[in-house]
Amino acid sequence: MFSEFFKKELFTGLKRPMVYIFMFIVALLVFGAVVSDNIQIGGVVGDVKKNAPTIVGKYVAILNIFGMLFAVAFFNNAALRDHKYGFHEILFSTPINKAGYFFGRFFGAWILSCLVMLGIYVGFIIGAAVGPAMSWIGPERMGDTPWLAFFNSFLLFVLPNMLLCGSIIFALATKFKSTIISFLGALFIILGYSISASLMSDVDNQSLAALVDVFGLRAYLVDTLYYSPFEMNTVTMGFSGHLLKNRILWISVALIILFLSYWNFSFSAKAKKVKKEKSGDTAQQQSVFQKPQLSISTDKTSGWNHFSSFFKINFLSMAKSTTFIIILIFAIIMFLGNVWGGFESFGLKSYPVTYKMLDEVNGISSLFVLIILVFFSGELVWRDRDSHISEVIDGTPHQSMVSLIAKALSLVVLATAIHLFLVLVAIVYQALNGYTNFEVGLYLIDFLSGPFIMYLFWASIFIFVQVLVNQKYLAYFLSILSLLITDIVSTALKVDSNMLILGSTPSTIYSDMNGFGPGMKAQLWFSAYWILFGIVMLIIAGLFWPRGMNKTIKDRFFVGRKSLSTPYYSSLGFFSLTWLAIAGFVYYNTQVLNSYDNSEVQREQQIEYEKKYKKYEGIATPSMTDLTYHIDIFPEERAVKSKVDISLKNKTNQAIDSLHFTVVDEEYITIDIPNSKLVYGEEGANYYIYQLDQTLAPGDSMQIVCKYDYFPKGFENRVSTTKFVKNGTFFNNSDILPIIGYAEQMEVADKNRRKKYDLPERDRMPELQTSCNHLCMKNYLSDGSSDWVNVETFISTSDDQLAIAPGSLISQSTADGRNKYHYKVDTPSLNFYAFISAKYEVARRKWKGVDLEVYYHKAHKVNVEGMLDAIQKSFDYFTTNFGPYYHKQARIIEFPRYSSFAQAFPGTMPYSESLGFIMDIEDETKNNIVDAVIAHEMGHQYWAHQVIGASMQGSTMLSESFAQYSALMVMKEENGPMEMKNFLKYDMQRYLRGRSRETEKELPLAKVENQGHIHYGKGAVILYALQEYIGEEKVNNAMRGFLEEFRYQEPPYPTSNDFMRYLKPEVPDSLQSLLVDWFDEITFYDLRLEEVTCVKNTNGKYELTLDVIAKKTKAAETGELTDVTIDDWVDIGFYKDSDEEELFFRERIYLNQENITLNFTLDELPAKAAIDPLRILIDRVYKDNRKSVSLEGE
Amino acid sequence: MTQLKITNLNKTYPNGTKALVDVNLELSKGMFGLLGPNGAGKSSLMRTLATLQEADAGSAMLGNIDMLSDPQSVRQILGYLPQEFGVYPRITASQLLDHVATLKGIHNKKERSELVDYLLQKVNLYKERNKSVKGFSGGMKQRVGIAQALIGNPQLIIVDEPTAGLDPGERNRFHNLLAEVGEEVIVILSTHIVDDVRELCTDMAIMNFGRIVYNGQPADALSALNGKIWRKVIERSEKENYQNSYNVISDKMVAGRPQIHVLSEVDPGDGFEEVPPNLEDVFFVRCQGE
Repeated sequence: MFSEFFKKELFTGLKRPMVYIFMFIVALLVFGAVVSDNIQIGGVVGDVKKNAPTIVGKYVAILNIFGMLFAVAFFNNAALRDHKYGFHEILFSTPINKAGYFFGRFFGAWILSCLVMLGIYVGFIIGAAVGPAMSWIGPERMGDTPWLAFFNSFLLFVLPNMLLCGSIIFALATKFKSTIISFLGALFIILGYSISASLMSDVDNQSLAALVDVFGLRAYLVDTLYYSPFEMNTVTMGFSGHLLKNRILWISVALIILFLSYWNFSFSAKAKKVKKEKSGDTAQQQSVFQKPQLSISTDKTSGWNHFSSFFKINFLSMAKSTTFIIILIFAIIMFLGNVWGGFESFGLKSYPVTYKMLDEVNGISSLFVLIILVFFSGELVWRDRDSHISEVIDGTPHQSMVSLIAKALSLVVLATAIHLFLVLVAIVYQALNGYTNFEVGLYLIDFLSGPFIMYLFWASIFIFVQVLVNQKYLAYFLSILSLLITDIVSTALKVDSNMLILGSTPSTIYSDMNGFGPGMKAQLWFSAYWILFGIVMLIIAGLFWPRGMNKTIKDRFFVGRKSLSTPYYSSLGFFSLTWLAIAGFVYYNTQVLNSYDNSEVQREQQIEYEKKYKKYEGIATPSMTDLTYHIDIFPEERAVKSKVDISLKNKTNQAIDSLHFTVVDEEYITIDIPNSKLVYGEEGANYYIYQLDQTLAPGDSMQIVCKYDYFPKGFENRVSTTKFVKNGTFFNNSDILPIIGYAEQMEVADKNRRKKYDLPERDRMPELQTSCNHLCMKNYLSDGSSDWVNVETFISTSDDQLAIAPGSLISQSTADGRNKYHYKVDTPSLNFYAFISAKYEVARRKWKGVDLEVYYHKAHKVNVEGMLDAIQKSFDYFTTNFGPYYHKQARIIEFPRYSSFAQAFPGTMPYSESLGFIMDIEDETKNNIVDAVIAHEMGHQYWAHQVIGASMQGSTMLSESFAQYSALMVMKEENGPMEMKNFLKYDMQRYLRGRSRETEKELPLAKVENQGHIHYGKGAVILYALQEYIGEEKVNNAMRGFLEEFRYQEPPYPTSNDFMRYLKPEVPDSLQSLLVDWFDEITFYDLRLEEVTCVKNTNGKYELTLDVIAKKTKAAETGELTDVTIDDWVDIGFYKDSDEEELFFRERIYLNQENITLNFTLDELPAKAAIDPLRILIDRVYKDNRKSVSLEGE
Repeated sequence: MTQLKITNLNKTYPNGTKALVDVNLELSKGMFGLLGPNGAGKSSLMRTLATLQEADAGSAMLGNIDMLSDPQSVRQILGYLPQEFGVYPRITASQLLDHVATLKGIHNKKERSELVDYLLQKVNLYKERNKSVKGFSGGMKQRVGIAQALIGNPQLIIVDEPTAGLDPGERNRFHNLLAEVGEEVIVILSTHIVDDVRELCTDMAIMNFGRIVYNGQPADALSALNGKIWRKVIERSEKENYQNSYNVISDKMVAGRPQIHVLSEVDPGDGFEEVPPNLEDVFFVRCQGE
């Protein structure tokens, strides 16, 4: 009996598509995580292979949690199928064996659920094969296929976890007989699990945490916590350790639940479920109805009545369906999960402004709505037939087209309902967070202009596919394929046009400053194009609508044709022609007016450029010395006109007979060089050579003029620039100027791509030199085209906007409806600055003769005063510790969120609206990221804008690490060292995460090659730690000395070696080794507090004994790790409180062996002990550095 | 009034099955019974008349309406209960009937709701009107199906195996209902239950292998067999012998033993007794003819 039910369950399941669909989803997830670093399931750190056995273990354990949702389907089905089809009354009255029935069904479903999880291994195998082959990921990141890990993880995770999930779901299903309850049960288990997991992660007792984890994940994490990358790559999980104990425990629990529910399960209880009639209803006297006189009409208006009746019936049956309710609940849970953290970054929340909510709503709804559209398109088209009512409906005198349109629209309205429901949730969320600027109109406009149109389009397409294919599951498959395929095909065919990628439109980003921005017009035209396309598809589908018993396309067409009428032809004609007209218009705008090269062509141009002109690299070129800008900005037209007078000086020692230029925006840039002739240069070449009539002798200067004229026409396939917009124009000087000479940044950079196109390998940066006079003539920012330049700007904009250029405002006037400004930079500066125009409010403050200004969007004023304070605090620290500031102004300027960064130019710091302006810092006195970012950019006024490194390894340390360190010191003044731990945490994470994504090789700090995780993350931690070890004054002395030598100096530019020259003398002999460990090599600490005991002695004092493990590891550039003996001073500290806020005792201890026992006598009983309590050493696992202290014998 | 005239209707399925072979029928108002074994082509004929299926050749005229080329006109006066009648999930009986009524052109909301109530009462489902049809028993669903077929003022009612799944009481009730509407319009009743035809129909046809093997009044069919049907109760083991020796048209179990009917112009003797022919005999005799 058991085997009959078991086989039936299993084989029925195997014949249905669900198993394969779920397996596909799982495989896709894993595949994505294996071939890309952007998809993360569990972190893969640095040197660990993407398919290492431990990674397999983690993925399997984590995906089991999601697998539970899939398992619901199988177990619920197994428990309720007979019930659902009303078969239980028959079945349960037959003499079947209860155990056979119950366990047969259960284990059938169990095997099906486990089969789904095989997708994980499929994902690993395909990912490991495809990833390297497609150059998505380096082949060195893949190890051999870990078959044993596949096998063991299946036994240790998949089978027991599915057994446990299954026993719970099966128990719920047999008890409550409701799919919703089974599903919610599963969701609660997952939620409960994640909550308990985060609670348990703070628990000291790891063994307990390992044991109570239902899915065995934590047990496995504890077992593998200290694995070296080598071990991670080689050791397969086995039947031992915490994992084994955990598994035995939970398998037992699963079996107990299973037997309890078996014991509780009875056929009769199940069969008894008959609803009691409401007694009131029967008692009521029933009147006898007479057949009414009917007026039956079949005129033209009946179409509308048919439509609304179809619509109502379709919509009701979808909206009431379990699938829909589950998807809706799931969408809401995901949405809340996403916004729960409150848009946190660096421990700080930003206000839930509407555009942030929009991003969340659209992200969630687009995913779930597509699922709904695909699923219900099939349901709807097949509904009449699946319900066996098609013959009745088909035999009524309605137009097939009406039914079809009603189906499509009910689908769209269902999608709209989900979307608007999420919007409602979003608004409630805003209200609960005290944000009351409800922009309901914005939600609606955004919905109607974007998602709604896509839902309309895809609903039409999916229905078209269902009708034409006329096989439900094949059509599902094709529908999903249509979501992806056009993208893939167009990539393969090297076509970028949105017109050829189904449903594709240019994207818009909503900005508080600039609204929907420049992409809106194009988006609307493309939307019209796609909607009409969808309508035409629907009309065609109407012709093939499967009415009656006709199955083949030919029959359906034959029948469909009969009901064709003039309205059909005229609507088909009308919509097709309108579609064609719009297609023509869109084509004209996006391909003719605004032609563009697709990415493949662009890459070919890059390659061609490198091959043809590389030979000119390093030829003698003059440098810019003085620039005078005449810029007119026309915000309403998004147009910009500029004319720049440039003085060039030959700073080389050879005569220059020709000028070379690289011009990217050939369309807009013109170069005017008196007394010269163009000897090379053609459209598309990007390279121009002008022969000078008279050679430019060393030391001589000359004048040239560069013009830039941008005037947008119509609309584009993709918004090519968000620099010129209606409110918030923001562009750099380099955007409107040609590049002098050969530009290395034009080359293809990606290592694998270079290999593919047979380009020679190239270094990311020139190697650090010890003495480098001729190699240090270029700095890494202006790359030889200029050094320190004088800049003057005459800039105008519309009369409702303010235009800003670098330097002091000399004069200002309004004439001819335009605001005109004249700016001049007070001291020669780097040739690196921006021009900005928008409607601004301005907040001003004077500080020791310097104008502090914040230019901001009217609605974003909440943090403005705080920003001025932050500038002031930075000045206080920097002028005291580093030296004078040479500009007469320090400006923060808000720009639209098309980019989300802050940047430092001489005296000006543009700051994205998405960053500091909407951060909620009302209650934050300490952890103030707005201050931190401003202090960082202010730091750049010294580090980059007063001294800048040569174009060479290590140079970004001199600007980015220094600026980040400067910011930390400003913050430390305010907050004290304990708070700083929280800031350092983020820098530490940035470094550790960043290095795991390194694609070439990791270099020590002193040789950093412009990598953010090293120069921001690691650099900040190391400089901060250094001031803790040798003293703040000493570090600042070194920096000041270095600054004084190189400030505003003409080339040669300094290197990191020059700084080390100043640092070395400041470091005591005992700590000199730190400089090697931290700057010249890559060093990790592994510090752990193994055991803490505490006894009270007779004097009433507390004797503490700490067992410490201290290890040090060096990483080679290749990633190879070597353990070295520790030989360092490390802090030991004791906290008063368990929240680690008050450190009442700290001592720096010299450690020179791996296992050490330390003794301390304290007056007070500490709550916690910690090694490296300030968290200043680079330690990959910090959790084990702390332990709670409890008094022995209590 | 209207007459339904079917001429040389033919249909062959793509797999080669001949569903309709030269079908010729003429029907006028009243109940018309269509008898035939499973797979005889009854449903194909009915679906073709119900505009759900194309014929390969032939014509079907309902009064002036060319049924094959103008399905939309047929649908306006059609009431159809298919062999397999199902319902939408999560929709109540009255919602369903209201929907069908709308589709059939009853646009006045009040009329529609009165009609729905009336019909539900007629099929004895008024109390269940607000329950989901999906949870109904087979018989209850069938009654909903009957109700929907009567919506509007159909001139042509086609019911395919309508009494399957009904208990005797319901079956009587249904017959009365049909008889009531059948006085005014054409009702085609397809069935393999001979009694249904005997009780209701004034006219009938028997189909087998896609052909009409008999068309006429039940009484005529019976009288043609007068004196030719002979009955005998035999042992099960003898069945084969009898089948070889006589023209056995049917055998069925009576009180646990096979009872056979044979067709014979003369008394076969051998313990056979003459019985008056019933429609079942007609049915078997006609179907045997092929």
